[in-house]
Amino acid sequence: MKEQIARVQAEALEQIAAAGCIKELENARVAILGKKGSLTQVQQGMKDVPKEDKPAVGALLNAARSAISAALETRMQELQKQADAAAVAGVDMTLPGGSLPAGGLHPISIVREEAVRILRRMGFTLADGPEIEDEWHCFDALNTPPDHPARNEKDTFYFDSGKLLRTQTSTVQARVMERQAPPVRIICPGSAFRRDAIDATHLSAFNQIEGLYVDHEVSVGDLKGTLEYFLKALFGDDTAVRFRPHFFPFTEPSFEIDVLLQATGQEPRWIEIAGCGMVNPAVFENIDRETGKSLYAGCTGFAFGIGLERLAMIRWGIRDIRLLIENDVRFLAQFQ
Amino acid sequence: MNISKNWLASYIDLDGLDPAEMADMLTFAGVEVEAMHERGVNTDLVVVAQVVQKTPVEGSDHLNVCLVDAGEGSLRQIVCGAQNYKVGDKVPCALPGAVLPGGWQIKEGKMMGHASCGMLCAASELGLPDKEHGLWILPQEYEVGTPVRQFTRTDTLFELEITPNRPDLLSHWGMARELAGITGRSLKADPGDILPPTQAAGDSIRLSSPEICPLYTATRISGVKIAPSPTWLAERLIAIGLHPINNVVDITNYCLFELGHPLHAFDASRVQGALHIRCAHPTEHFTSLMDENYVLQESDLVISDASDRVLALAGVMGGKDSGVTEQTTDILLESAWFLPSSVRQTSRRLGLGSDSSYRFERGAAAWNVLRAAGRAVQLILECAGGKAEPTAVAGQAPCTVPERQAAQATVLEQGSGAKVFCALPQVQLDWKELDVMTNGAIPHMEAARILRNLGLKEAVPGGWDCPPWRLDLKRSCDLLEEVVRVYGIGNIPSTRTAIYVPETPQDRAHDFRCELSRHLAGAGFWEVQTFKLIAEQSADPLIASVQYALPMKPLQEGDTIRVALPLSEDHAVLRPSLAPGLLAVAARNLNQGMEVLHFFECGRVFRNTGGGKGKDIEVEVLGILMAGKLSPTCWDSLKPRAVEPQHLVAVLESLLPKHTVSITPAKLARDAAALSADILVNGQACGFMARVALSACRALDLPQNCYYAELDLRKLQQLATAPFKVKDLALYPASGRDATLELPASVRHADVLKAVESAKQKLLESCRLKEVYSDPTGEKLAADRKAVTYSFLYRKPSATLTAAEVDAAHGELLKALAAKLPEVRYR
Repeated sequence: MKEQIARVQAEALEQIAAAGCIKELENARVAILGKKGSLTQVQQGMKDVPKEDKPAVGALLNAARSAISAALETRMQELQKQADAAAVAGVDMTLPGGSLPAGGLHPISIVREEAVRILRRMGFTLADGPEIEDEWHCFDALNTPPDHPARNEKDTFYFDSGKLLRTQTSTVQARVMERQAPPVRIICPGSAFRRDAIDATHLSAFNQIEGLYVDHEVSVGDLKGTLEYFLKALFGDDTAVRFRPHFFPFTEPSFEIDVLLQATGQEPRWIEIAGCGMVNPAVFENIDRETGKSLYAGCTGFAFGIGLERLAMIRWGIRDIRLLIENDVRFLAQFQ
Repeated sequence: MNISKNWLASYIDLDGLDPAEMADMLTFAGVEVEAMHERGVNTDLVVVAQVVQKTPVEGSDHLNVCLVDAGEGSLRQIVCGAQNYKVGDKVPCALPGAVLPGGWQIKEGKMMGHASCGMLCAASELGLPDKEHGLWILPQEYEVGTPVRQFTRTDTLFELEITPNRPDLLSHWGMARELAGITGRSLKADPGDILPPTQAAGDSIRLSSPEICPLYTATRISGVKIAPSPTWLAERLIAIGLHPINNVVDITNYCLFELGHPLHAFDASRVQGALHIRCAHPTEHFTSLMDENYVLQESDLVISDASDRVLALAGVMGGKDSGVTEQTTDILLESAWFLPSSVRQTSRRLGLGSDSSYRFERGAAAWNVLRAAGRAVQLILECAGGKAEPTAVAGQAPCTVPERQAAQATVLEQGSGAKVFCALPQVQLDWKELDVMTNGAIPHMEAARILRNLGLKEAVPGGWDCPPWRLDLKRSCDLLEEVVRVYGIGNIPSTRTAIYVPETPQDRAHDFRCELSRHLAGAGFWEVQTFKLIAEQSADPLIASVQYALPMKPLQEGDTIRVALPLSEDHAVLRPSLAPGLLAVAARNLNQGMEVLHFFECGRVFRNTGGGKGKDIEVEVLGILMAGKLSPTCWDSLKPRAVEPQHLVAVLESLLPKHTVSITPAKLARDAAALSADILVNGQACGFMARVALSACRALDLPQNCYYAELDLRKLQQLATAPFKVKDLALYPASGRDATLELPASVRHADVLKAVESAKQKLLESCRLKEVYSDPTGEKLAADRKAVTYSFLYRKPSATLTAAEVDAAHGELLKALAAKLPEVRYR
């Protein structure tokens, strides 16, 4: 019996060592430890072993079983390791990426959203109004003289109904003040239209953001502080901002705002970026007259407008404004 | 407007001021400097040279090899392309190393194989007004080698943008006065101070439209000698880009650019009897001095005479037959005031503008009428001789003062005989307003000083008389603007205020739109921005056949909104749908080789609700286009699938994950859409979906599988952002059963779903399409039939279903379906 155990153990260990793959090892395990396995069969001989010899034979048998199990376990680990290595050996991680469909936002949306986000952080809320406007909201309310050139049908798109496509988002100023008492603190991103032939720097339909803050005792300092903060947030903290006196019928005093920007390899240049000013009292009077209430008497406020196409062009060095309406994916993909 | 620095310097001390500094001063006075041009030569390397030899270059039709003597002891070889010189002429020669205006550096080089050591120059290349076409031929008395700068002057030309509220800046004197006002530099003598003797015009001037022309003056000067202008005068005009004509005409132009008031000189022999300032007769003709013909209207003001001929179009342009010529000996010099809106209307309608109309339509000061006349008479007598009669004055300056103020207003009196009165508007200014506007940053003393420097006078406490040239100062805010502008907004401390403001519906709409856009971008769609004005024929937007086309009503004839005067037929109507724009984008990108054409746009669409008679409405919509491949061809995906309608439906479902999106095919077919359907969300109409007509795809060179959906953004937002509560997780397991139905190919998924729904099987929790099978060859299944497999899921909320219960329920359902669906067979 003892020799038998020793022989089975030796054969088993040989078998285990010879297994070249996990499957062969599994076969070996069955052949040794299975129901009809070599060790199992030897074990069945225990019943014929004389009682006094049983402890010694039993111990021998247990030792053989442990040795075989340990060998199985060790060999299994070796083989698994080999198999794992073989499984990943052929994978080329350096292959180019596969094909997910690509998509992205339009640059105008990107600048619009950024401007809106900054301004909302500063306590402005959104407002809007129709793009098909009447002359009152587009011109009269905003103190535009009756024979102002902008009212010409060669400069503005009119409809047979007498309405027009708004030439500026400032129309929303009048719309909001008509239905709301001060304080007013709104921004309006939206489209405006001018009858300009389309070329590298002009579109007949373009996007603006309009802002308006009206309350009691709003000052030029507030206008300056607000727009400086806004433009620095947009262009970077160290951006220089300057206000140049200008003229708009609906604000007085009026300013154009320049920011000092530096293109690579060029001297910094002042670039006109927005128009602004203190709301002309005539605008408040027009609103109050129209509504028959005197909500805005004694108010002061400021308004500003900024062109989004221009903002995008400056920001990304876009040379031809038409790229913004052509929607060529080779262009759009650069903003992913 | 062009301003010459040299000219300006004759009215204001500009010593020690460099042009860049001056540009800054103008900029902060509110006058934008659009461009600055250096004029003249400021280097010794441009010298007088004499052409000694001139040999044509072989093979060139215009180049010559010249040898020139530039006073260097030896001759210099230069290749030159100009034609207007001959051997012996003296011309300017730029030597190597010279930098010409505009930064142009002269180097030695070769042209067509010939060495060229310098450049012979035209006047314009030296930044001087061009005197002749080609090289600048210099007088023979100049010594060769003399630097050209010794006999030319440098100047700086400023191109300025004057805002429409400041017509008083449209002249050199006006600009000088402004600069003096804002900088404190001293002003020299006012050239407009010499007023002419005046007399009442009596019958010699007839004003028939005093509301348009309330003041007209004419000065007769006899015995003038028409000749070229003196050099100083011609040079000033040339400096600002004008061409000298003759002394009298040049003086009227000069006065316009000096004092800002337009003048006109008539040949007195061409005027018969009294001048008559009247409205044109209907369809009256006028021939301008440029020899163009115009048909006038009654709203046009003309200068006429006893013969009733039109001598001039008032304030716009003189007539062909009444102007000053070489033969003129007697002139009538007009200086008048015309109503801005009248001049603007005439000028714009006829497309005829001039330096004169530009100023009149912005508003000329009546105060300048006699000043300009006086200055012009002075210059004409000086340069052309003759004898002037006292200026005939008809009418009176228009009133610039509100009636209630008229009695107390300060009045300026001009003229010796007949007088012109200019009342000064008085503006009340409360310093409190200044304090509010500037947070008290500007001391009142300083503000008062600024106003005084600009020519205002505090006539009574708080009441400021405005100078007669400042027609734009009418209200206190106009004065505040002056103070802030001159004080400098840079000197006012910035403040930041914020108030709490409630979120508006527009805020929420904006947020939703941003989120939606990012979702779609992440799902592989490009956001685009297309034109809102489109071609009328492309406006038929797939949508007419759809029951709930946006905004929820089929498009009728006349619903599209057309602009009255389109820039072109390609941009004539407001888009009633985003589809035409998106299709154009797809076509454009397909041309660039794109095979995945997935685009979206958020924006407004427009329509009239009643065939052009109803209300114009604007709706924010989302348009999604899917065409071509589902994903790009790639090394690991050589044959990507083509887009099919279910892919677009999947995108729609991804926008509304908590809702049931159902597609209801439309009943009517229409050309633009091969197939179209309404999109219902939870049974509510929300937009439409269409397969673009195959003919349209062919016309646009688009792939045949082109799908489009348009959704009402507001409804989408309502649905997508609706509040919700979580559902309890099911406690008991569900059991599934599959069933394969063989059906006629024409039966749609929606029909099956409808049948399932109407069977009202209580235990049925969900029904999901598993497979669609058809065999076009007809071998395994008749070609007009299809086999669809559905998975049905059964569940009871309160207990685990037994297999027998599930089988029973499933059996009932199949029986019900067999009854409701045509020719169904179970496999």
